[in-house]
Amino acid sequence: MAKFLLLAFRNVFRNRRRTLMTLFMVGGGVAGLLLVGGFFARMFWGLREHTINSGLGHIQIFTADHFNRDEVRALDTGIDNWRQVAATVKTGGHVRGVAPRIEFYGMVSNGDKSSVFMGTAVDPVAENGLGFFPTTFTSGHDLDSKSGGEVEALVGAGLAKSMNVKVGDGLTVLSMTSDGALNGVDVEIVGIVDSGVAEMDARSLRITLPAAQRLLQSDRVTNLVVGLDKTENTDQVAAELAPRLRGLPQQLVLKKWIELATYYKQVRSLFSTIFVFLGIIVFFMVLMSSVNTLLMTMFERTREIGTMLAMGTPRAWIVALFMLEATLIGIFGAIVGVLAGNLLGVLLNHSNLHLPPPPGFTVPMSFQVLHVPSLMIGSSLLVIVSLALASILPAIRASRLQIAEALAHV
Amino acid sequence: MFSLSEGNDNWNPGPPSRFILPFPPLIRFSNPSSGNPCTFGMTTSIFRMSKDAPEKERPMEELVNVEAVSRRFPLDNIPTHHPAHSFVSALSNASLRVSAGEFLAIAGPSGSGKTTLLNLIGCIDQPTTGRILVDGVDTSKLKPNGMTTLRREKIGFVFQTFNLIPVFTAAENVEYPLLIQGIGSRERRERVAEALDSVGLSARAQQRPDLLSGGERQRVAVARAMVHRPALVLADEPTANLDTQNATQLIDLMHGLNRRLGLTFIFSTHDARLLEHAERIVRLCDGQVVSDNSTEGGSRG
Ligand SMILES: Nc1ncnc2c1ncn2[C@@H]1O[C@H](COP(=O)(O)OP(=O)(O)OP(=O)(O)O)[C@@H](O)[C@H]1O
Ligand SMILES: [Mg+2]
Repeated sequence: MAKFLLLAFRNVFRNRRRTLMTLFMVGGGVAGLLLVGGFFARMFWGLREHTINSGLGHIQIFTADHFNRDEVRALDTGIDNWRQVAATVKTGGHVRGVAPRIEFYGMVSNGDKSSVFMGTAVDPVAENGLGFFPTTFTSGHDLDSKSGGEVEALVGAGLAKSMNVKVGDGLTVLSMTSDGALNGVDVEIVGIVDSGVAEMDARSLRITLPAAQRLLQSDRVTNLVVGLDKTENTDQVAAELAPRLRGLPQQLVLKKWIELATYYKQVRSLFSTIFVFLGIIVFFMVLMSSVNTLLMTMFERTREIGTMLAMGTPRAWIVALFMLEATLIGIFGAIVGVLAGNLLGVLLNHSNLHLPPPPGFTVPMSFQVLHVPSLMIGSSLLVIVSLALASILPAIRASRLQIAEALAHV
Repeated sequence: MFSLSEGNDNWNPGPPSRFILPFPPLIRFSNPSSGNPCTFGMTTSIFRMSKDAPEKERPMEELVNVEAVSRRFPLDNIPTHHPAHSFVSALSNASLRVSAGEFLAIAGPSGSGKTTLLNLIGCIDQPTTGRILVDGVDTSKLKPNGMTTLRREKIGFVFQTFNLIPVFTAAENVEYPLLIQGIGSRERRERVAEALDSVGLSARAQQRPDLLSGGERQRVAVARAMVHRPALVLADEPTANLDTQNATQLIDLMHGLNRRLGLTFIFSTHDARLLEHAERIVRLCDGQVVSDNSTEGGSRG
């Protein structure tokens, strides 16, 4: 059997030029998949971290009723004893911080003109404790939790533009209280926010938690946002937290970031589909061109196969030999491809290239690829299987040769 | 088809036509006016010299029995206005018995059916009619697997074009028949060394075929054909790609192995000079056995 493997191995390197071309093609396919897949993986990673760190957090806690809520009266389904819940969560491992938030909606007006807003009320100190990306301001500064006088507000760049306001200007915020009455508060704009997502910035408004609670006439919060040390720990922490939240009077629900990151999931599924499609293309490209090459090889070796068959080699051995040779080419091609793909990846990561901003984003993206082991294994298996399949037809043809004719073949 | 063949022969006396057509053949390979190619070498001194050979004592155990064998090949590139079933007859009604230990040459001009006959004896091809017994086994009753096994165990092949596996060294080539028989590596090594030694190529064992001369390659092929101790070695024109000196050496080598080990050889050649080395010469012409010097003394006188 070792000799048989040796025979296959040496046969692979018999026609060096042809083998090199096949290796080039197979390796190119694998390297291409690694680069594209590595870029996508890096993009998913970037989007994930961006999504989590620009506010989503790793885990959010809601009441169970929140998901059947009446959107206008936001706090009807809020968390009552949120300070206690937050304290409980904070004692868990890997938890960096817990921040209470209120999500509310309403109208904002500058006197001339009004617009719909999506509001978030935050505790600036707790928010900072989450360890997320600092908010980027086009002008102004963050909310100050201790300020006593005027109610401070941050507005998105788009909203500021449409309302025609700048830092220092005032706006009137209107929203519905828990008991259904309309309430309003005058706010002073202290900062204009550029989150990088244009659609968010067109509607976003942020005020402090106490201000919002006064506006909405409630002590509750909508949700608690939990920040962890690392995204990879999300599942573990969620599993540990769930039972600890069960003892509380209100029935709470724990949502991991992935359950809340709709855009991330859409992007991921779109690009995964593109990648699968690319994989299929590479698979068939390798399959088609190798069938041809392998048939040529088989044809050239007709007399040799005839000789082996004449000497009493079982036909199944000939099939096995040809398939083994092709599989070896696949393995070598995969090795070449993985090496080339990783090398190119390293070069790319060092070249500091930038791509135009992805859809919905305003900042350019750096062209980086990740080295993903599962991609290396997957694309290697893909080409190896492709070559093994490509060899079936030539292998069967070789094994079915008429010996006398094959021996007379020149 | 057989009766048509006879009809055709009756209609066209002279050398039997190799075409069996319901019509007179349009093309004739052996033109009667250019002399009968089958008389080639018939009356040379080589022929008479080799008449002495049957005197030698040889084991009488029958190894090969070719019984009235015919082999016809369908002709597919026949003009369309001809009736569908047309054949070329490579061998017609040939009979031959070979005993164990013989050193037999099959002679005949090109196209006389030498390769066809050797292929049939070697279980590479099957007769259209008649049957062939190899070592007591009726090969026409064998299934493809049985034929493969028979070839693997009982027959060694030497080819005109050497046909060594180019990526294997001389030793590995010789090892191959043992490999496919599943013989253990230790025994393989011993037998390969022995076989290479018996063809005088121990020193070249690790050489790849492309670095060997033609004569050396064919000696490796002979070692490969005998390493598994087959009952019979078949060699179709083993010397056709060798110069005279190497050709003579190769035949001598095979003859030596035949005498020393009692190995049965059947080889074909159309080189008259090599026939003086053969003990028995069977001549083929147009697919028929036209002479056999082992039966010569009795039947023809
Ligand atoms: N597969 C085949 N199909 C058609 N005709 C064939 C086939 N094999 C052999 N023949 C024909 O049968 C006849 C005998 O062929 P064969 O090869 O046995 O002759 P040969 O004595 O070996 O000739 P050579 O000395 O040229 O090798 C030839 O006329 C040949 O054309
Ligand atoms: Mg021939």
